[in-house]
Amino acid sequence: MKKRVLSLSLALVLLTATLAGCGGKKNATWKVTCPWAPSGVAAMVSQQAATKSTSYSDTITLVAEAQKGDAATVNTWVADTKANDTELVFVGEGLLSITSILDPAKLQFGYEDFVFVENLYSSIFVLSADASLGINSIADLEAYAQSAGEISVAVNGATGSEAFLAASLFGAMGAGSQLKLTPYQSAAEAAQAVARGETQFAVSHQSQILETWQQGGVTVVCAFDEKAIENGPFAGVEGVGSKGYPYFRNRCFVMARAGTDEKKVAELKELYGKILADKEVADWLHDTMLLEVDTMSVADVEAHIDNVKDIVNQYKDIVAG
Amino acid sequence: MLQHILPASGLLFTLENILWINIGVFIGSVFAAIPGLSVILCVILFLPVTYSMTAIPGMMFLLGIYCAGGYGGSVSAILINTPGTPHAAATMLDGHPLSEQGRTKAALKIALYASTFGGIFSALTLLFLGPQVAKVAAQLGTAEYFMVCVFGLTIIAGVSGKSMIKGLISACLGLLISCIGADPMTSYDRFTFGVTRLYLGLDLAVCLIGLFALVEIMAKAEKKPGRLDLNAEKIKDDGVITKDEYKRMIRPTIVSSIIGVMVGIIPGTGASEASWFSYNTAKNMSKRKEEFGHGSVEGIAAAESANNAVTGATLIPLLTLGIPGDGTVAIMLSALMINGLNPGLSLFTTQGDIMYAIMLGLILVNLFMLLQGKFLTSLFAKVVSIPQEILTPIIVIFCFAGAYSVNENYFDVGVALIFGILAWVLRKLELPPVPILLGLVLGSMTETNFRRALLISNGSPKIFFSSVYCIIFLILIAAAVGTIVRGKVLERKAAAKKED
Repeated sequence: MKKRVLSLSLALVLLTATLAGCGGKKNATWKVTCPWAPSGVAAMVSQQAATKSTSYSDTITLVAEAQKGDAATVNTWVADTKANDTELVFVGEGLLSITSILDPAKLQFGYEDFVFVENLYSSIFVLSADASLGINSIADLEAYAQSAGEISVAVNGATGSEAFLAASLFGAMGAGSQLKLTPYQSAAEAAQAVARGETQFAVSHQSQILETWQQGGVTVVCAFDEKAIENGPFAGVEGVGSKGYPYFRNRCFVMARAGTDEKKVAELKELYGKILADKEVADWLHDTMLLEVDTMSVADVEAHIDNVKDIVNQYKDIVAG
Repeated sequence: MLQHILPASGLLFTLENILWINIGVFIGSVFAAIPGLSVILCVILFLPVTYSMTAIPGMMFLLGIYCAGGYGGSVSAILINTPGTPHAAATMLDGHPLSEQGRTKAALKIALYASTFGGIFSALTLLFLGPQVAKVAAQLGTAEYFMVCVFGLTIIAGVSGKSMIKGLISACLGLLISCIGADPMTSYDRFTFGVTRLYLGLDLAVCLIGLFALVEIMAKAEKKPGRLDLNAEKIKDDGVITKDEYKRMIRPTIVSSIIGVMVGIIPGTGASEASWFSYNTAKNMSKRKEEFGHGSVEGIAAAESANNAVTGATLIPLLTLGIPGDGTVAIMLSALMINGLNPGLSLFTTQGDIMYAIMLGLILVNLFMLLQGKFLTSLFAKVVSIPQEILTPIIVIFCFAGAYSVNENYFDVGVALIFGILAWVLRKLELPPVPILLGLVLGSMTETNFRRALLISNGSPKIFFSSVYCIIFLILIAAAVGTIVRGKVLERKAAAKKED
């Protein structure tokens, strides 16, 4: 008797499980690999997008994963994936425009190995100065660059986007030879370095300098953008583009493996579009992360990569010596 | 502050929070007890769980993992002579010998009590002195960081065993290995030999598996079957800690908790450095120096209280300045930011209740860690009664699974194996493995800060004498070196007397 009851129960469970699987739409899980620190801006945005994915799609679930390693992680991703795999990866200008020129041997991939899905955000970097220098505008900065012997700038990493932005700004001012880039392990460390006077300036994301600025340790001199910052705590900070200096925003593109079905890519792009249009997500990006929602086309992406490449080619001697 | 305490308590003491704390503490203890499965990996894995929660339960869950992970690493260090996490390596030096003496439960209890004290001490520091301490920490620059590293390197003498020269050789090897990967100041590769996986350097947790776990297994493989029989003493273990032992634990626990807090507030350092500093300090202060390395209760208490005292301290720069004190806390930052909380002093004004609830919650986390730990100690202690022929293969599987899970690739499994072979060769040459670990922990940080300091000063060494903090550290370094030299001279005299 016991065995019969057990068999019947088992059969019932299996039947329920089978029926539960019927009727539902096919749901594909797309893993989104972020090749930077899990605490970084891109990883956080990716997580936020993944959390929202089930609210906007019955067929696609995004799962965010952060595995720091930069080029090494993307190399592995490229080696381990093929067209139509349900895998996505973040790639930014650091790899496509900087490492590809400075250290191409590090990359076992090129832009052609990916197909662009979407860009989630853009971040405007800012230049902050030791508050004791009293530099509050680009005009002050130009005057300082002319009179100063040495200009030291704290940056996150030796050859990252921040280093090239500093090099391009001071290089274009004619002060490239006076520039001393001091690399730190993180943007937060770089921001602290300028506040305690180890360096005169720092380049960082807005959110990373916010607390130091609020405590009065630094002044925010200019933004690496075309125009002045429009919103947020740094609204009104001048954009270097308005004075003719080179600039770029930080962007991280979500990519699928090259050859992935165009329809699938379009579906993913549409999903990301819906997620980014979500007011809660947009407010969070804007108010907490001090970022802007920035959806892009393939042409925009290529233009961004080329713009950064031009800057890297022009100022690589200052950065890499 | 007081106006926030009452509403913060209201926010904290909910069934949901208490449940998440306990889940976090349990996961953290078990995860950290398995070699290779580090606390940071655990936090990364469970971080997405918190995205659907509000800030307080999310942080309570992660803090539960973080704090219990500090203690959990000591379990395998005591039981199988393999630290579950890098910061439990100092605990291993005395924890395992005490276990070998048939006092496994006592060793686990000492680790638990010391961890709880260290954790609560740092939580109280965070609660009452957070902003003030953070301001001091913010004044420490590159030169001071370098001094901290040099002070750390003096510990090599204390863990070198019988021969200082052999200890130095091991340490140099560790420092050399720490150079593998991208140059921190230029980003160019060093010693990678074209292997792209080496660009990021070697993961400490992976090296640890080879250096301490796999080499133990190789050593067991060399023994004859009869010598692997269970130690009857271990099975009779009653776990009693004597009054005298409790008394001896007090001083190292308090001193180490203070050291743990001081190290923890300096961003970039962490529990590993704190536990080694404390272990060394406890050894120097002890009246029973000869017991260190052979099952000293002071050694276990010092290492464990220090590595858990780091937990609250690393939150000080995070919550007050927005600067994460270590890698794990950096991940917790995202749990706050995803909830729209951008840490910093301003948050104490705008979201004071939440901030104080998190800080009070840290005390609660440590109390639940004590309760769970007391229950788990008996379970963990049973591990030593498992026959070696069953336990050893299980450890091997955990080691390889742990190595794989760090970056989810087989390359790390190979690295662990290579380190296992290296450690086995070193053992044959009687070169101690602990200084290698110290070299690995401190190598990159020492080099980066040294080179950056010289870059800032345009090559002038005066930067290392430029602040009060530098001078204090220089005095500490000189005192440490003086103590080492004096100790060696006394040792030689004693040896000469014996010969006479």
